[in-house]
Amino acid sequence: MDILYVLIPLSVGLVLLVLLGLWWAVYRGQFENIDQEAERILREN
Amino acid sequence: MSKSFSAPATSAPLPQAQGVSAEQLHSVENLLDDPAEWPAFGRPVESAGEGNHWESHLVIEGMHCATCALTIEDALRAVPGIAQVDVSAATQRARVVWAADATRPSQWLNAVRKAGYRALPAVDEAARAQRVRENRRALWRLLVAGFCMMQVMMYAWPAYIAQPGDLSVEMESLLRWASWVITLPVVLFACGPFFSSALADVCHRRISMDLPVALGMAITFGVSTLGTFQPEGLFGREVYYDSLTMFVFFLLTGRWLELRLRERTAGALEAVMNRLPDSIERRSGDGSFVRVPVRRLAVGDVVRVLPGEAFPSDGRLTAGSSRVDEALLTGESAPRWRTVGASVCAGSINLEAAVEMEVVRLGADTRFGEIVALMESASLQKPRLAQLADRVARPFLIFVLLAALAALLWWWPRDPQHALMVAVSVLIVTCPCALSLATPVAMLSAAGALAREGVLVRNLQALETLAGVDTVVFDKTGTLTLDRMVLRHTEATGGLSPSTALELAAALARHSLHPVSRELVAAAEQALPQGAPSWDVSEVVEIPGRGLSAQVRTISGTGPVRTLLLGSAEHVGVALPERDCVQVCMGWAEDVVSRRVSARFELDEQLRGDAEISLRALAHAGIAVQILSGDRSASVGRVARRAGIANWRGDCTPADKLAALCALQANGHRVAMVGDGLNDGPVLAAAHVSFAFGSAVPLARLRSDFVMLGGQLRLIAQSIVLARKTLRVVRQNLWWAAGYNALCVPLAIAGWMPAWLAGLGMATSSLLVVLNAARLARAMPPLAPLVEAQAQCTSLVHAPMRA
Repeated sequence: MDILYVLIPLSVGLVLLVLLGLWWAVYRGQFENIDQEAERILREN
Repeated sequence: MSKSFSAPATSAPLPQAQGVSAEQLHSVENLLDDPAEWPAFGRPVESAGEGNHWESHLVIEGMHCATCALTIEDALRAVPGIAQVDVSAATQRARVVWAADATRPSQWLNAVRKAGYRALPAVDEAARAQRVRENRRALWRLLVAGFCMMQVMMYAWPAYIAQPGDLSVEMESLLRWASWVITLPVVLFACGPFFSSALADVCHRRISMDLPVALGMAITFGVSTLGTFQPEGLFGREVYYDSLTMFVFFLLTGRWLELRLRERTAGALEAVMNRLPDSIERRSGDGSFVRVPVRRLAVGDVVRVLPGEAFPSDGRLTAGSSRVDEALLTGESAPRWRTVGASVCAGSINLEAAVEMEVVRLGADTRFGEIVALMESASLQKPRLAQLADRVARPFLIFVLLAALAALLWWWPRDPQHALMVAVSVLIVTCPCALSLATPVAMLSAAGALAREGVLVRNLQALETLAGVDTVVFDKTGTLTLDRMVLRHTEATGGLSPSTALELAAALARHSLHPVSRELVAAAEQALPQGAPSWDVSEVVEIPGRGLSAQVRTISGTGPVRTLLLGSAEHVGVALPERDCVQVCMGWAEDVVSRRVSARFELDEQLRGDAEISLRALAHAGIAVQILSGDRSASVGRVARRAGIANWRGDCTPADKLAALCALQANGHRVAMVGDGLNDGPVLAAAHVSFAFGSAVPLARLRSDFVMLGGQLRLIAQSIVLARKTLRVVRQNLWWAAGYNALCVPLAIAGWMPAWLAGLGMATSSLLVVLNAARLARAMPPLAPLVEAQAQCTSLVHAPMRA
């Protein structure tokens, strides 16, 4: 059970990291124009 | 706007000017090569060592899907000097970064056109960028609250399920620490709008929705923080991080969805307002056409409007003819044919061929400008029910604060911590915003639906009154009939066949502008085969109020020259039996003595195509219909009989109309008046609600609550049905908001409502109100089922109808 004393603070850090990732995603416009990016892979170049 | 806007166009030296083709000269874009125009749709970019770069924004037309966006991106990238391209299919926008010393807008705009799309400079970019920023921040707040809520829930879980002794004290305080850390961003960032708006309220000594909510949040966080760091303190060791993050998440979700819903309706209005083109081809001194920005047009300019373009101003066609889509301005979806001399409205769209137009009115003076101004002012009004709700909301909020305080004091002696959480629930569960939103949201949705059909609501309050109307009075027969007459019957005597008679009459009538003459010509063109004229008409004389006379002979020149008379009975010199219509006679001058007539034409007003169905729909809605007209009794009676209106009066002076209207109102009727909105000011003002058919009148001069832009009569019945529906939705909303608060506030005071449930309840409550109102925006109530239902009813039971 002692490992929990490491894991819980670790999870807090992870949450903050994920939040950072979400921040990047929102402000890079990753949640806008979702269809278009899916099409891009089908293009030749 | 940048100052360089107003600067006169200076021709900048074009790089690669020799490469400009003739097609490009004609193209939309050349004027955009003028650096004075660049700030209007973009801004310079400072990028180190790369010279003079500009970032420009475009609206792309003709995109259907995501693939189109990529095609455009490829096309633009192929142009030398383009540094960066982003095309978005969802917003139909493009962002281009280009080097000013390597390329010019015309070149890359041309590339877009060659790819099969149309690009226009986006001048509203600043406003749009602002909206995107706000949307992103709202989404980001929602994500922070949601994600942190999930994590806090996990840390709270062990405390809920642990048996006594399962959880060591250290472990429990570690979990609380973790929860506190994760809750911090929620309180500091996600709750930001609540706190800042509450703070502004306190500074301005007023009270609003956000004050109790922010208080609730602050108290919950404070109690939980004390519980974490001072477990032995006054408020015990209980923590509420899970409740706090949960209700913040619910509230933000509610707000975010509300924002999206409202943006959708606002977007529709914006689409209407942005209808005018940015630039247009103007004829310059030497007769060639040069593209200029619309804001540089002046009255009297001649401009060329290409197919697919919108007319930039009100004007008169000077060359060419085309079909024009005026749906925005009249609600009429069928395109209209416009030829030289016809007037066209700003904002309507040229569909078929390039036409030239002389500018008559510009900007705010145009009909389009009037409509936009009217829509804007109506959307800012507060109807009576909304004012009432706002007046109630304030004391209600004060009551909530006092109730929370009372609950706190009541529970305090037993358990200070429980007392605080009860107070928090009371603060959060109340939802006066549902109360304030109930009316305006519904009425604006309805007004938007009406505007799409060509009915402008000048006064939101009138929607409420309209719902109670039980009598519709038409104050002009012209509102029921088309503005032209129709040839009903031709009677030829004296050796002429009816078709020859009509041909002869039309040959004369062609020289006159009288409505009857025009109808005869139209009828002849419709009924007779188009061929070489067989009559030679000369020396046409028109005697106003009586008729025409002319010298007529066959075109082959074989017959004798005879004098033909066309007009009223006394003009031709005969006496005719009284008939229920307008009669036109035709006779030879030599027959006047014998009082013989060669042909007689019966013309008649024609009811509007949708008059019958509209009147039936009105009857079905339980609404009585009357005509009070200033026209001659005979013609009023004719129209009334044809329309099936039993209750009519002709030859009314305005005073008569007013008296009749007041008598109706004294009998307890609620009257809607339908007129042309101009002549009968006092009558329109005295009616409870008024409609004006304002197709040819400056809108600002109309004194009515509703303006019908098109001539569709059925919209009156539909508006009434929609108004009733709107009021029903308003009542539902108000009842829901009142009922919700009446039920939940006592529950919260009694301590039976946990804080998270309170947050969920409040978010749902205001969302329900907005969603309920959004039903109204979808479509106008169709008439057909109403009328069919009525037909069935009347055939089954012969009882008086009621709605």
